Amino acid sequence: MSGGVLLIAEHLEGRVAPSTPELITTGRRLAAAFGGDERDARIVVLGSGVRDLANHLAGYTLDVLLVDHPALAEYTGDGYVQALRGIVESTAPRVVLVAHTSQGYDFAPALAGVMDLPLVTNCLALDVEGDRLIATRRLLNEKVQAQVEIRSERPIVVTVRPGAEKPVGPSRGTMTVTDVPVSIDPSAVREKFVRLERPQIHDIDLSGADIIVSAGRGIQKKENLVLIEEFAKAIGGVVGASRPLTDMDWLPKTRQVGQSGKTVRPKLYVACGISGAMQHVAGMKDAGLIVAINTDPTAPIFEIAHVGFVADVLKLLAATLKELKR
Amino acid sequence: MALNVVVCLKQIPNPDLQFQISTDGKDIRRDSLNYKLNAADEYALEEAVRIKEKHGGRVVALTLGPKRTEQMLREALAKGADEAVRIAYDDPSAFDVGKNARILAAAIRTLPHDLVLTGVQSDDYVNSATGGLLAGILGLPHASVVTRVVVQERQLEVACELEGGLQRVYSIPLPALLTIQFGANTPRYAPLPAIMKAARQPIKELAPSALGLNGWDAVALPYSFGVRGLSPPAAKGHAEMITGSVEEQAKRLAQVLRDKGFVRR
Repeated sequence: MSGGVLLIAEHLEGRVAPSTPELITTGRRLAAAFGGDERDARIVVLGSGVRDLANHLAGYTLDVLLVDHPALAEYTGDGYVQALRGIVESTAPRVVLVAHTSQGYDFAPALAGVMDLPLVTNCLALDVEGDRLIATRRLLNEKVQAQVEIRSERPIVVTVRPGAEKPVGPSRGTMTVTDVPVSIDPSAVREKFVRLERPQIHDIDLSGADIIVSAGRGIQKKENLVLIEEFAKAIGGVVGASRPLTDMDWLPKTRQVGQSGKTVRPKLYVACGISGAMQHVAGMKDAGLIVAINTDPTAPIFEIAHVGFVADVLKLLAATLKELKR
Repeated sequence: MALNVVVCLKQIPNPDLQFQISTDGKDIRRDSLNYKLNAADEYALEEAVRIKEKHGGRVVALTLGPKRTEQMLREALAKGADEAVRIAYDDPSAFDVGKNARILAAAIRTLPHDLVLTGVQSDDYVNSATGGLLAGILGLPHASVVTRVVVQERQLEVACELEGGLQRVYSIPLPALLTIQFGANTPRYAPLPAIMKAARQPIKELAPSALGLNGWDAVALPYSFGVRGLSPPAAKGHAEMITGSVEEQAKRLAQVLRDKGFVRR
């Protein structure tokens, strides 16, 4: 069978990544938009000793293509590109869907480069119009939305932003898992996996906090963290940060909220001078009450906040501290 | 072991600013934009210069873009790049990452390269695609979201960041391509004498003919690409905005915190 959509599952240490069930939603919808059945989307599982994981994914009522090979025991760009090249050549899908994660945007562009395929990445939504794939993307710190179109005879490689779609759960019944014979030359896998490193925690664990006051670049100077600390203390919270602050070592890495840091769900989240880039928002959007303070009225943080203040965060926090002491 | 490093840099509009859509709806208005070196590329440049300083070799700063990008290339020279090359692709928007990467790859083939570095993403179009595409087109092994690079003879040991702060460590033979993550190092400031010197250094310009092309439209693409339109994003929702003087805003913030039970009294 050719045509349809292939979606590449992501997994680590035997667990399916949270982006994969979202990708299944996107894949089904896209397969239907191409004029077929939504079951023309198939899930690809690459790994070694991952049959159970493939069987589990078959419970999402899409067929699963499995490449179980010792050379895929650990993720490598070359291993994935070799395996996917074989599958894409034999199945000739319209679209290859990949989650826009660290792993996804490692191999998806490389696959497109190696196979000379069209590529569109970090998409929020996908649609089909005639022979065109329409992708909706966000540019320039979420301030501009763009629709682009790609037309090609060849499979289009697409990465989809995590969080763009609601994940589906497994449903009743199960579909088939098909072993795909793909030859992988382990000596042509040039990236050699050495080890997995976990963050060392010698600090407070943000993920358990009820109240988090997070600072971003808008606080301007490291010295101003004192005010953030003082405010956090006054409301019984702890201090978190956006990525630029931990990159500058103003706060330890353990305080970073966002995709590459902690995902938090406190009762109260106060975003101080944080613009609200996707990478940060992914880690805190489910907080109970989000208060945002920023000088830029167009900052995307105000889209997800419940209460917003266009203000100099330093002045507003100092004044609020006074109010709280009254 | 001395290394020839090519670092790909992009000049982007400062994403902290506000943007307007051009009248044809196909681009942002570019008449009064403030351009800067893409943030992740600053880390890639710094990594390139540090590798050269430690192991010897040369750093070539490469960009694709109009004349205005020369300012950014001079900044790269002042920060330690040995040579600057501008591919004279003058499309001010250059939305198609696939085309950009194919042109960059053609230019990299003309340069000695043991190591090619890019930033993990550009903050204007946030594709995170150029590095991976280049690796695929050039046939180089690669690693993305790299936070640490150690050069060991003809190979590298690199740490790649995953979601949630996990890192995968790989050993990769040279030549290779890496996309460098924010915070991988601390980028330096250019010393004044170096800035003065860079102002006089020549910048090599590559026309299509230098890459064996009859013009930029002659780049072979397996697809057609078009921008349908740009728009201000439809807000998913919006905060209740509290206006007024700072004192008034502070009163309301304190009240919200009290009402929701986050402050006693």
